[in-house]
Amino acid sequence: MSQPVTPRRTTRSSAGSASDPASPSKSRPKSTPRRQLIPAASKEEEGEDERSAINALLEALPGRRAQASDLLRLLAPAPALPLLLYGGAATGKTRALLLALRHIRPRPRRVAYAALRSLPSPRALFASLLSQLSPPPSSSASSRQRVPDKPSDFVAALRDALASLCAQGEAVYLVFDNLEVVRSWDKGGQLLALILRLHDLLRLPQVVLVYVSSATPDAYYSMTGSVEPNHIYFPDYAVDEVRDILMRGHSNPKLYTSFLSVALKPLFRVTRRVDELGAALEPLFRRYCEPLGDLKAVPDESTKRRLFEHIQPHLAVALNETFSVPMRASVDQCKDGNSGVKASTKRQFGSRDSLSTELEFHMSVSAKYLLLSAFLASRNLATLDAALFDSTGGSDNHKRKRKSSQASMNMKDTMVEEMLMKGPGTFPLERLLAIFQCITSVSEDALNDVECPDSMMNGSGMTGLMSDVLLQLSTLCNSNFLSKSRSCPLEGAARYRSNIDEDLALKVARSVSFPLSKYIYRR
Amino acid sequence: MAAAAPVASQAQAVLRGRLCDPGFVHSALRSSPDTNYSKLKYLVASSVSEACNNSVLLLGPRGCGKAAVVDMVLEDLKKEHPDAISVIRLNGMLHSDDNCATKEIARQLCLEHQLSFSKMASSDDNTEFIIDMLRECGLAHKTILFILEEFDLFAQGKQRLLYSLLDAMQSLTSQAVVIGVSCRLDADQLLEKRVRSRFSHRKLLFVPSSLEDTQRLVEHLLILANDSGLPAKYIMDYNSRLTNIFSDKKFKGILNSLMDADATTSNILRFLFRAVSYMDMESGFLSMESFVKALSSMQRQPKMDSLQDLSILELYILVCMHRLEDKEQSSYNFTSIMKEYRSIQDAYKTSDKYTSTVCFRAFEHLLDRELISFGDNRGRNQALEYRPVKLLVSSRELAQSLKLNTTCPAVLQKLFDRERYM
Repeated sequence: MSQPVTPRRTTRSSAGSASDPASPSKSRPKSTPRRQLIPAASKEEEGEDERSAINALLEALPGRRAQASDLLRLLAPAPALPLLLYGGAATGKTRALLLALRHIRPRPRRVAYAALRSLPSPRALFASLLSQLSPPPSSSASSRQRVPDKPSDFVAALRDALASLCAQGEAVYLVFDNLEVVRSWDKGGQLLALILRLHDLLRLPQVVLVYVSSATPDAYYSMTGSVEPNHIYFPDYAVDEVRDILMRGHSNPKLYTSFLSVALKPLFRVTRRVDELGAALEPLFRRYCEPLGDLKAVPDESTKRRLFEHIQPHLAVALNETFSVPMRASVDQCKDGNSGVKASTKRQFGSRDSLSTELEFHMSVSAKYLLLSAFLASRNLATLDAALFDSTGGSDNHKRKRKSSQASMNMKDTMVEEMLMKGPGTFPLERLLAIFQCITSVSEDALNDVECPDSMMNGSGMTGLMSDVLLQLSTLCNSNFLSKSRSCPLEGAARYRSNIDEDLALKVARSVSFPLSKYIYRR
Repeated sequence: MAAAAPVASQAQAVLRGRLCDPGFVHSALRSSPDTNYSKLKYLVASSVSEACNNSVLLLGPRGCGKAAVVDMVLEDLKKEHPDAISVIRLNGMLHSDDNCATKEIARQLCLEHQLSFSKMASSDDNTEFIIDMLRECGLAHKTILFILEEFDLFAQGKQRLLYSLLDAMQSLTSQAVVIGVSCRLDADQLLEKRVRSRFSHRKLLFVPSSLEDTQRLVEHLLILANDSGLPAKYIMDYNSRLTNIFSDKKFKGILNSLMDADATTSNILRFLFRAVSYMDMESGFLSMESFVKALSSMQRQPKMDSLQDLSILELYILVCMHRLEDKEQSSYNFTSIMKEYRSIQDAYKTSDKYTSTVCFRAFEHLLDRELISFGDNRGRNQALEYRPVKLLVSSRELAQSLKLNTTCPAVLQKLFDRERYM
């Protein structure tokens, strides 16, 4: 056997590309921030003695000392029981495993890596594993091997492939990543039982099975009690470990340390995932550095204080954001200098709920009105439409208020609960158009300015807005402001539902100066 | 002690090899009388020598050595009657489909008897072939042993395979033994009437071993024999240290607490495998610490672990959900959780007031960790904020994790405690 002895380095991306090109799966490498946060240790491994290899491994995995040494011990000499690595997202499970597989002695003959998230069917999984294990066919004529789709054929083929690989007593490692996704597959339970019991089915001592899952082991107990692998738990990083990880590869560690001492703790209260923290901290650090001329300088106490005061308002905003995609406008503002930024941050800082008053996107006036009417149609009961949108514009509905007794108060409470549970209601197109017509007629005077003077049909202000309303509607549906449900079997027509929350609706209303709160029915 | 490390790693490799070899693990059964091994061997051997049909079920929880016993019996029989038996192995996980099973039987029969197997043969052809082979083997006084692992899975559906196998065995000419292996104790109740009446109701029950048996097993697995190829001095040192550990009260305590949870052989094996893997390579011997460490790593509580991993905001959301449940609100969703969260934040004015998008991300993290889940599968097209959710942690677990969490704010603890005593 003149197979290369070095293991195939299978990372998330290369494992996907190694899979059968005929399979429908296109592996998508995971988003990169995490990769960049933990730069790969590019060590030459030949001729290193074991201890330094382990040290290199621990160096590459900050905060994972216990897990890495457990991995090395449990994986290392060939006959080994199956192993399950579990822990939350972004805790370095896959990375630790793949690095450990590089460092173990004796070297494994082959490592086959299957990320189940990128292999959407059993067939794709079987094809990927078999193509990684058996040498690629030399001639293209014989490459049309049949991919087994039945579990029995697969296990037979896998056993054949593995038996020839293990003939010399060398170890083969099979890694199943993202095991938790299989549970939601069609007939996932059967496949899961098959994967978890592969050790018993194959009966090859030189084959070591490793499972990686973000779900806890008790998620895999099936009815007839499947075999439990040995497990290693990867806890989320503690705050000091996160600091160590984020510190890696920074040109000015002193400056970054002072930044992290300010920014990390508050953000850490919100989320403990390294990838999210990394994404949130990156723009903040850029802000932090703004007042500094020289990025290489070591900050002293007074600069630190100045920088702290500078960053604090930004930090408060960042805490309340999940994604911060900079708008073109705000980027320009950054370039111009920070006079405008200060004003806007002050405003945002003032209102703690970060209700920035202006809309962050452009939308035509008629689309805004349509969105508002959809919002109203979803929130209000259909029976109240007549009362709210009568000739006086619904302003005098306080007349009908009765004295509320205890019983009716209770009933109202339960109704509020019900509304909270049910979410926005659905409505037919006719109701939407009717409300649209009403609210545009109310704000007619505001629209008179924008109306074309030479329009033939300037009898009513809404004609300009009523044009292309269906087109606008479909645009709103496509941009997910509204959702269109399947047609009701009784009425036949499609029903709509608005997906926007009240904050956004209020913002939209303010931008067209429409008195929205007057029309929302409050209990 | 410079030479200790290679010897120790050699010893570790020997021990790991033993633990991963089911044949070695259960080989102690061979010498002791009146075990399931001797019963099964007697049963199969007598039906081979007396040329009769038989069927037996091996029942017991997973990891008690059913398959290992079958393997040992087969190995012995192959030695004793090299020409008189041929073995067909099926697994319910792979061959529960009837057509697939008959095809697999035909394939293995062809392999055993050096016949060429046609992949294109229809299921009827295969069935006919099997019956012919049964007759031929019967005439040649050759017993066919069918090993059906995961027997309960063969009992799904029409049970055509079981019926045709057992029905063929009713004839005088055939000579076959069906051994069913299942972890369902009620596996024979799953059979249809027509199948059950053709089945001889022999059952061998496997139970997890007692403490004494387990101790004997541990000694059998860990004590090194003199002929294992290691230096004699090392073996002596190693064994004497190990017997010291075995006689220690603490070790018995460890074994007891391990077996309280799960006394099956496979659990013991996992424990020993960990302990051997944690062997101290400096001294080169197994120590009490490695056993203690192995036990502690076996006794993790995944739910508690993931509760410890939560951020403060995620804990707030869990406490809000718990408060809602305590108010006996039958169902609630993200918007009602947010209402509760806001009322808490308004009442206590903490620094942990975040917008609902941030809270929703925390909510999604909780869903990812499977500490909460959606209450129903209906309403898939509904927005996630409005789908009813439920807690998957008990209030005791939540209370404990809040107590253990050092960064947990005092307000949160108070919020959680107050509703319990009010």
